[in-house]
Amino acid sequence: MRKLLLISSALTAIFAMPAAASAQDGDAQKCGEISIAQMNWAAAEVTTNIAKFLLEQGYGCKVSLVKSDTIPAITSVAENGEPDVVTNLWLNSAGDAYKKLEKNGTMVRLASVLDPGGVEGWWIPTYLAKEHPELTTIEGVMKHPDWVGNRFNNCPDGWGCRVVSDNLVRALDLESSGIKVFNHGSGETLASSMGSAVTDEKPWFGYYWGPTVPMGKYDMTRVKLGDYNEEAFANLQNADAPDPKVSDFPAAPILTSATKDFTKTHPAETEFFRKMTFKTSAMSSLLAWQDENKASAEEVAVHFITENPDVWSGWINDSAKENLSKLLSQ
Amino acid sequence: MATYDGLFNALGLRAWCDGGAEKAPMSMADLLAKTKGGGTTESLWNTPFPSLNALHDACKAIPQSRDLTQGLEAGFLDIRDILRVVVDPLTQPLSWALEDMLWVMTHTPWWIIMPVFFAITWLVTRSWKIVGLVAVIIGLLAFVDQYNEAMQTLAIIFVCAFVCVIIGVPIGIAMSRSDRLQRVVIPILDMLQTLPPFVYLIPLIFLFSVTEPKLYGIAIILYAIVPVVRLTDLGIRLVDRDVIEAADAFGMTSRQKLFGVQIPLALPNIMAGVNQTIMMSLAMVVIASLVSAPGLGVLVLRGIRNLELGVGLIAGFGIVVLAIALDRVTKAALARIDASQAQR
Repeated sequence: MRKLLLISSALTAIFAMPAAASAQDGDAQKCGEISIAQMNWAAAEVTTNIAKFLLEQGYGCKVSLVKSDTIPAITSVAENGEPDVVTNLWLNSAGDAYKKLEKNGTMVRLASVLDPGGVEGWWIPTYLAKEHPELTTIEGVMKHPDWVGNRFNNCPDGWGCRVVSDNLVRALDLESSGIKVFNHGSGETLASSMGSAVTDEKPWFGYYWGPTVPMGKYDMTRVKLGDYNEEAFANLQNADAPDPKVSDFPAAPILTSATKDFTKTHPAETEFFRKMTFKTSAMSSLLAWQDENKASAEEVAVHFITENPDVWSGWINDSAKENLSKLLSQ
Repeated sequence: MATYDGLFNALGLRAWCDGGAEKAPMSMADLLAKTKGGGTTESLWNTPFPSLNALHDACKAIPQSRDLTQGLEAGFLDIRDILRVVVDPLTQPLSWALEDMLWVMTHTPWWIIMPVFFAITWLVTRSWKIVGLVAVIIGLLAFVDQYNEAMQTLAIIFVCAFVCVIIGVPIGIAMSRSDRLQRVVIPILDMLQTLPPFVYLIPLIFLFSVTEPKLYGIAIILYAIVPVVRLTDLGIRLVDRDVIEAADAFGMTSRQKLFGVQIPLALPNIMAGVNQTIMMSLAMVVIASLVSAPGLGVLVLRGIRNLELGVGLIAGFGIVVLAIALDRVTKAALARIDASQAQR
């Protein structure tokens, strides 16, 4: 008798499974499939995971996250019209390629996913700035190059910031002060050079950007390069710009964009992406929490969803609120 | 309600389990269960394998697999300082060699470097055809302004391939003379060949400053040393038994046998290993650009990152022609060794 029960329960399990799966399919019919480009840095992974959860549970979509990077994602959209949504798009790094897509109507800018935006610039560890307050300006750094270890840690080839930093190095004539420019091969070595210098309390000077895990983890101070000058900065963004002038980095706009087709076929979801913005400070503290708990991006998303229902309930429409009422009512 | 709750209850371990409870980040599965409402019991079909994570769900005292990786990381960081004291000075000459070679190759004017290359090519191959080929290839690279990058790539390859031969040939000889050593070394070689290079780049990044050239030097050497070791071992083991018997009959000591008989007869195989080692260094130079190795690889990376198709294609083409040149030169040298042996 017991055996029979076991077999029958196994059978029910087998038959129940496809039924459950098709029920889910029925739900997904309304919204269909959405592909979102997931950039390979922490803030982007967290954002996309939050969006995935809310869209799947609230709107009944089937969301696939496509691992990508700024330029490949844009190119893919330009050539294939996929993925549907690109978020955490750094406008300064995407450059003309993206603007072209906006101009010819392939992509539509939905929102700034971070408010006010990302920070980028040249940094030193805060303990260095405390020890030698002069180092907080570029003139001070160039006067005492040995205090920062005689080295400027530059961006890898192929990054938007590399062009800007290369031009700035020429504009400042940085190498005449005895600082050698070290061109990193990848973002990983740039981050680990900063990490190992800071954990050993050694001097470090180089480019970095935020909000990122290293920026949340290490206490860094920005080196003032001068004032931000729109025209000068625009010039700095062209490779080998003639006669570059010094300008500090502006706050970087970080966008969510979608293809035009997507905005037409998915009005409700487009509305969601238009509303989904994070305060930069909130994202920084999320990333700090991630580092503290050694959590995965998915767990950070869960943490955000459980802790901040008031924030994300403002992003979603009424039917989604109903679907997620169990979470909201707590 | 986790799948394995019952197991711990039955074993009477519930108190122990809950005693070790601490607040861990909530997982996506928990959240989904919460959204759907109430604990859903898993059907038999979906029973998870009793992995660390699944057991952790039922019993908080059992560590998650994340704790395992964290433990590994902490362990590595603890021995890092000791490792550094030993490995850092040991590998320092590699940094100096790479720095000096890069400096020499990029700072010597082209009208000295090029004739030197042609002379070396002539010396090892004695073939005007191949000297011509090398001249065309280097000329072509210089013509499209890839000369500096090509020289950097070549400098890295020369240093790394040289170190590979210096270390690899003795290891191969030792392996051929001891079956036990061979049994130990072969799995290591297999591992070096199959591991994705990035896996052993990670601990290296932690060990050394990323601005040191030896970081990519070690990565290249670990990857490229395999063929020269393997083929040296194989070559010596393949030496005809009759020849060894004859050498024994003459009363040769084993040292005389090794240097007078086995190594000369194994030379074609050893040289084939050297050829392969050089080619593999070239392949690895591109990947090593990710840890700041200069040369053509940087341009390839830039091509990929910015989708500057032209830059990537030209750099890729440069690597291909360099590979052809290196391959032809070493193959011709190999053929000369074979020919000189045939005459003997």
